Amino acid sequence: MTVTGYLADFSLPELFQLVEQGNKTGLLTICTLTDPTTIARHNHHIWLSQGQIVAAGNSLDQQGLMRLIAQRGWMGDRAVSRLAQTCQIHTPLGLCLKNQGVLTAEQLKLLFYTQVMRQVCALFALPDGWFQFDPKAPLPVSEMTGLIATATDVTLSGLRALKDWNALDEKLPDPSSALISVVESKPSLRLNPNEWQVWEFTNGTMAIKDIAQQLNLPVAKAQQIAFRLIVTGLAEEMPMVAAPPPAAFELAAPTPLEQGFATTVTADAAGAAPVSQSFLQNLVGFLKGKV
Amino acid sequence: MEIMRLVVTGPVGAGKSTFIRSVSEIEVVDTDRRATDDALLIKKRTTVAFDFGRLQFGPDMALHLYGTPGQSRFDFMWDILIQKAHAYILLVAAHRPHEFREARRIMTFMKQRSPSPMIIGLTHTDCSGAWDAANIALALGYPDPTRRPPIVAVNANETASVAQAVISLVQFTWAGSLAPTT
Ligand SMILES: Nc1nc2c(ncn2[C@@H]2O[C@H](COP(=O)(O)OP(=O)(O)OP(=O)(O)O)[C@@H](O)[C@H]2O)c(=O)[nH]1
Ligand SMILES: [Mg+2]
Repeated sequence: MTVTGYLADFSLPELFQLVEQGNKTGLLTICTLTDPTTIARHNHHIWLSQGQIVAAGNSLDQQGLMRLIAQRGWMGDRAVSRLAQTCQIHTPLGLCLKNQGVLTAEQLKLLFYTQVMRQVCALFALPDGWFQFDPKAPLPVSEMTGLIATATDVTLSGLRALKDWNALDEKLPDPSSALISVVESKPSLRLNPNEWQVWEFTNGTMAIKDIAQQLNLPVAKAQQIAFRLIVTGLAEEMPMVAAPPPAAFELAAPTPLEQGFATTVTADAAGAAPVSQSFLQNLVGFLKGKV
Repeated sequence: MEIMRLVVTGPVGAGKSTFIRSVSEIEVVDTDRRATDDALLIKKRTTVAFDFGRLQFGPDMALHLYGTPGQSRFDFMWDILIQKAHAYILLVAAHRPHEFREARRIMTFMKQRSPSPMIIGLTHTDCSGAWDAANIALALGYPDPTRRPPIVAVNANETASVAQAVISLVQFTWAGSLAPTT
């Protein structure tokens, strides 16, 4: 199904995590809403194949990659389009040109870097934008170099390079939350030294602000690193119980309700008391009468 | 008196209070207050203490429902409650992707602190902009459809729908011990 929304609600790193974990193939379009008074809106397109980014561009005219090649001065548009016609039907244009000996592997890499890494990473700073993921859109071979990047890798690089975190500020884990690892073993991602350091504390017991202090990092920095670990699927934010100061127990007058359940709830032993078979059957029977 | 305790949790405005009101036979204690700025964007009133609902269905059998407050920090009340809960349902408004991350935080908290079984209830599936269950599951961190809690759609305003969600929760929790009823 098509997924739509606003980046201010569901951020780009979260979206990337979703498409990667869901192994999605299709086209992600982001429409920037910078200035509502002008009609000039910019569309950004990111094509994915099984959760990996295969191409990016800002038009759907299938000419983006050719323009990039021409810009580099490696070949004119016309020459490229002529050569493109000889490519096999499902072969990415970049790969085809490399196979024909027109482009080197290094040149392809550079193209991919400019087309995907640079364009996509710039999008992390967008304060908002409307997005749509269309799983039915065909993959555009003429925009593809044949190289791919996992969404996670792009997120990691993009967020590491991000200078202005305003757009994502609200998404960052709370300084009072801890982090808890959600992977069985050591991450296979290439983390940087700071990320490794924070990773060492993903045991659900230390608040991010305390991790920051331990590591001599500004709290905001630790939150940003924690966010990277979260959106790359390595850790989850774990809210910690806000312990009331001891006196608060007596001082804060509990509502009658709170008093009520504090007595009913704490009366019996730890854990939930088991319920009987007849209880369950009666309950389900009773509820079925309401359905 | 035999009592089953169910916790209804989820982000602000998911429909927790409404859910409990829909099946409770007692007047649910209204602890809703004017929301602070954050939540005001979503709704005018929010629950500041735990909701409590009750359903007695036999001379000595009752179901207790506890709803977590929308905006509060996770405090000792949560802890007491979830330790004693038999099971819980996480309500997520399907049309508010903004809250998916909060739903995830709540889930991580609950999983860490309580061994009780959980199902996910999607509310507001009738609203425009609602995501489908598969994508919400992904957004909540469940990429593998065979390894995730049951996800049911529920309209908190409809008694029948809420009753059905509670049945799903009970059946999932006691899958082994509940003899099939027709
Ligand atoms: N259309 C629609 N509205 C719903 C549904 N479920 C709940 N609502 C409405 O959502 C609004 C918020 O419900 P509440 O029960 O106050 O939500 P809550 O989770 O208790 O909110 P907090 O206490 O602030 O966290 C109410 O107006 C409900 O009527 C649903 O499935 N569809
Ligand atoms: Mg409420």
